[in-house]
Amino acid sequence: MKKKNDVQRENRLSRLDGAPLSIISLLISIVISAVILAVSGYNPFEAYSAIIAGAFGSLRGIAQTLTQATPLIFTGLAFTLAKKANLINLGVEGQLYMGALGAAIVGTVDLHLPMVIHLPLAILGGLILGALFGALIGFLKVKFGSNEVVAGVMLNTIATLFVSYLLNGPMLAEGSSVAQTERVVESARLPRIFQSYQLTIAIIIAVIACILVRWFINRTTLGYEIRCVGLNPKAAETAGISIGKVLILSMCISGAIAGMAGASHVLGVDRRLIDGFSSGYGFNGIAVSALAAENPVGVIFAGLVFGVLKAGAMELNRSTGIPTEFVDVIQSMVVIFVSAPLLVKGMLHIKNNYSGKKAAKVAKEA
Amino acid sequence: MGIILTYLIPILASTVSMSTPLIFASVGGAFSVRSGVMALGLESMMMCGAFGAVLGSYYSGSFVVGLLCGMLGGMLIGLFHAVLCVRYKVNQVISGIGLNLLATAITTLLMQIVWGNKGTSEMVDSIDTSIGGPIPIISEQSFNFFVMIAVVVIGWIVLFKTRYGLRLRMVGENPRAASSMGLRVHALKYSGVIICGILAGYGGAFLSLDQLNMFVRDMTAGRGYIAVAINILGRYNPLYIVPCALLFGFCDAVQIYLQGQGVPSQLIQMLPYLATLLVLAFGVRHIQAPAGVGKHEDD
Repeated sequence: MKKKNDVQRENRLSRLDGAPLSIISLLISIVISAVILAVSGYNPFEAYSAIIAGAFGSLRGIAQTLTQATPLIFTGLAFTLAKKANLINLGVEGQLYMGALGAAIVGTVDLHLPMVIHLPLAILGGLILGALFGALIGFLKVKFGSNEVVAGVMLNTIATLFVSYLLNGPMLAEGSSVAQTERVVESARLPRIFQSYQLTIAIIIAVIACILVRWFINRTTLGYEIRCVGLNPKAAETAGISIGKVLILSMCISGAIAGMAGASHVLGVDRRLIDGFSSGYGFNGIAVSALAAENPVGVIFAGLVFGVLKAGAMELNRSTGIPTEFVDVIQSMVVIFVSAPLLVKGMLHIKNNYSGKKAAKVAKEA
Repeated sequence: MGIILTYLIPILASTVSMSTPLIFASVGGAFSVRSGVMALGLESMMMCGAFGAVLGSYYSGSFVVGLLCGMLGGMLIGLFHAVLCVRYKVNQVISGIGLNLLATAITTLLMQIVWGNKGTSEMVDSIDTSIGGPIPIISEQSFNFFVMIAVVVIGWIVLFKTRYGLRLRMVGENPRAASSMGLRVHALKYSGVIICGILAGYGGAFLSLDQLNMFVRDMTAGRGYIAVAINILGRYNPLYIVPCALLFGFCDAVQIYLQGQGVPSQLIQMLPYLATLLVLAFGVRHIQAPAGVGKHEDD
């Protein structure tokens, strides 16, 4: 609670937060990445124009951008929701894998059901496994006081290895040389928007989810309790809110949303569960959430921005050989800069009474 | 007796070897936490240490330069972390995670640029001489075994028996009181986090130059986070950290030994991570971090 107050106070002092801070941070990160590219011998202008061309140049590019944005919006939303309760859900990647597993278990079995029943069931399978895996972190924190960051990272590895084990053994598709499941049956597939592209209606579900979470956080009792616990757990407890319940439930919902990211990938994009399918979507969610200034609706736009970068970077990789991890560099810098408004101000030479240098000086004199 | 010689000794030797990088990183983490800065950035410090070491060895052809570059790599991340947390008052958890993400991304990018391959680097000059001698478990270790023991002992002496250590711990417990006593709070915090970076960087360099002779993508694979757990379990005290790290090293050694024994390798590989999770659940309940972690002297 103390930390949250500090951050808020400093944001007020510096008058640099929310969308402006996010946009400036993104621009600084893009410029620094351009410098890195230039130093390593690539032409940054060509690189960025290739990204833009790749992401917007064709219908295929736009479809690819939206396809990439879909899991990013889900994982960004998952991280944002947990952050409202002042929890760092670093286990999103693991919850995403478990969600993908849940969707694959239900989706690959032919139950002879119509699509209106089978598809929601498969999605539900993903949501439940993701939610349980998320709730486990919350439970460990509440019951045993475990550090949720370390627990999340450990569960990420455990989930990835567990899925990998299933895909190499019990769930391996017959006659497949790659570790993957059978194809998801017709009745459990997310419908595609364009027949020839991987973009599915999951992007619409993602947008609706963001709006729903916004409503949930701002308008429901549980949402209110989550915000209370996030801002000041002691006050929340005094007010009769059960902190343990709220923490576990917020991790549970966060995990379900992360699970949806995995489910949408399995049921829509690959239409089967493939080993190592996630290119770090769970960790990208942290950057999405940071860029969105932890605003659920902002997550939609932040997800689109990184979707553009990701889709464009794939094009860039094909044409210039610059690795797609280049986008991860931009993303991680966004995480750092958004969390450091004083640093951003210092870099922009914005002068006022509380610029970084003066604050440090005042601190020294005190 | 025969069984012991054939199974137990290789596993124990491997235990020592696997826990060495964890000990380096955790002792570093102890310096950071004792100065009041959370050590969640250990993963990035190890990663940059491992990468810097290979880069240094690659360009100079000598592992000595490599080890120095590894320490430098870890130190740079430590410095960055300190600047963010101490000067710009960034949330320490977010700063650590941001740096971890940055380290993974940037080492992969640089691997592609330097070696044209984002999976593994080229093989470089590495440490391949062992100390030998009659004691079976340590005879296969390199000179880094002694470096590790020195780091633990000196680390403990510095933290608990010197004036500097007392001041560092005071800053970590109560930065405000330390500041009003005239201690240079910022300088002490910087020093704690930078020592942490150097030691974690050396731990990373051990991974890439001692255990292997190259850098592999995502080389640390969560070891930095395991070191955070060891650090907590070891009560931020270098002497207690050693047995905790050996426990994790043992899990890792058993894991490696069981590979190819008929058990699915993915399930075996979970062992160290499951152990960490169990320790987090049952081992650390009553351990208190220094009271001033995450606080600033002008709060």
